[in-house]
Amino acid sequence: METEKEVGMKGFRDAFQAFQIDSIEKEVDKILSSGVAPQEILNECQKRMEEIGTKFEAGEYFLPELVMAGEIFKKVNAKIKPLMTSGRKEAIGKIVLGTPKGDLHNLGKDIFGILAEASGFDIYDLGVDVPPEAFIRKLEETGAPILGISVLLTSAFSSLQEIVRLLEEKGMRDRVSIIVGGGVTTRDMIGRFKIDAQTRDAYEGVRIAQSFIIHREEA
Amino acid sequence: MRKPIKKIYEKDRMTAEERLQMVVGLGQPDRVPLSMMLYNYAPFHTGIKASDYVTKPDVYMQAMRKVYEDLGPWDIYYNINPVSRLIDSFVLMMKLLYPGDELPDDVMTQIDEYEYMKPEDYDEILKMSFYFADTVFRAKMITRFCKEAKGAGSLRIWPKLGWGLLRQKMFWSRDWRWFRERGLVVQMGYQAEMPFDVFSMARAVVPFSMDLFQRPDIIRRAALRLAPSFAESAILFARIMGAPRVQCYMHRTSNSFISPRHFEQLVFPGVEEIVCRIIDAGMTPLLHCDGDWTKNFKVLRRLPAKKIILELDGLTDIFRAKEEIGDVMCLFGDVPAEKLVMGSPQEVDEYCHRLIEEVGKGGGFILAAGCEIPYNAKPENLKAMVKAVCKYGYY
Repeated sequence: METEKEVGMKGFRDAFQAFQIDSIEKEVDKILSSGVAPQEILNECQKRMEEIGTKFEAGEYFLPELVMAGEIFKKVNAKIKPLMTSGRKEAIGKIVLGTPKGDLHNLGKDIFGILAEASGFDIYDLGVDVPPEAFIRKLEETGAPILGISVLLTSAFSSLQEIVRLLEEKGMRDRVSIIVGGGVTTRDMIGRFKIDAQTRDAYEGVRIAQSFIIHREEA
Repeated sequence: MRKPIKKIYEKDRMTAEERLQMVVGLGQPDRVPLSMMLYNYAPFHTGIKASDYVTKPDVYMQAMRKVYEDLGPWDIYYNINPVSRLIDSFVLMMKLLYPGDELPDDVMTQIDEYEYMKPEDYDEILKMSFYFADTVFRAKMITRFCKEAKGAGSLRIWPKLGWGLLRQKMFWSRDWRWFRERGLVVQMGYQAEMPFDVFSMARAVVPFSMDLFQRPDIIRRAALRLAPSFAESAILFARIMGAPRVQCYMHRTSNSFISPRHFEQLVFPGVEEIVCRIIDAGMTPLLHCDGDWTKNFKVLRRLPAKKIILELDGLTDIFRAKEEIGDVMCLFGDVPAEKLVMGSPQEVDEYCHRLIEEVGKGGGFILAAGCEIPYNAKPENLKAMVKAVCKYGYY
């Protein structure tokens, strides 16, 4: 016979998978009262996000599913974070994120940020229209090894070049991996802008960020 | 309809209008036609303030002519010149940020996306008459996000829109004459964001994603309710303006946003209604398809063959499009923005050559950039595009 915890977790899982955003907080309350630890809920969230990401990569899911999953994750995270006074798993890495000066779009950046956070990264989101110097300052302050830049307009290209130049000038280029994403980006940009990776797919972006961490650990 | 009087190049055996008609019908013309979508680029090429360019029609006109004289010739004049900010907002249904107003003088217009439409607005649409639904819906919504319409109310908005359209008509008549005298054909007589895409932007991404899960059927019905009125307004305005083509924007319908299932069930019925009405009126719909459309081709094939232009922006594989839908629609595109900004003339030349050889094989192709040419494109790269139709484009 299933325990109260198991029944509660199943309800939570089902609500997540069916993208029932309106009832998800109720499900979290239920499992918390049945004695499930906040970290367990976070782990379950990460598994669901992973599953949704796999379906997205396989072409079964599209942007609305990613957006819904991200919103559900945000709601759950906001609810359980204050309860995680201790024992929170250490982040797998840090990412400084933003849309550079000249571009005001945030959709791709936000989706990538949520997926990366759900995958265990600490995200430092600087927002949109961010000057190159602000990226550098945040990288210095946090020691983050990854810089995620979202670009929808070619007007942001000159900012991107400036960011790379500043990183080189400050001797930080080797310790920071740069990933650029967005509709206007192409693979050709890797060589042209001296960046490390490019993607038009937020989930692929997370996989690339994970691979950066693995490579750095192996190095 | 006024006919172009001049050939573009000496070697041409057709006028631009004949060439365009031929490729829309998937025939093989004398040469591949070229459209240069230069609205964002022109002020930077000519060194004028973007804020003047978007607000002063005569400045716009001079800039566009200068670009044509510097880089031309080409076949199709891309006429995105909103004389009235109100009309610009009315057709696009996006909150636009303008240089010199919300933005600095030297950058082009950007979009500020936020939720100005509420779930109950879908229900309101369903109560509207088929004949005027799209126009009434737009007039109602525009007061919520467009500065020029704010506080106008349901009665005062109509004279404002009427005056805006009249100014647009008067300006276009002057503007087009210059290009037509040089043999060009005007790309469109009307342009507007399609109903489903309006909902997607008006509700904003997160609420609209919820709508897709929680109330998909009402989205389909509301989009279908707006479709006849959208088409009839488009036909009327295109007729008044004097160019028998309607550019239908679908910024949010690709597989980069929604699934092929949602496309087929929620979007396609409205698209089909609009496209068929435009075709029945003897006009050509240009489907401006941003994002990756590959998985929607199968459904798009149900639209009438040899009547439609499909504009692709570089995110859809246009070479695959040639194989999968090139026997149904004329393909338009798709030199990537990144290549025009960062690439070399040789790279642009090679890509255009490949497009002409493969996508242009047998006709049914218009060479163009993938969506708008970026403001910071290199002029030598644009020149390479222009030269490519001369070097490789003759059949």
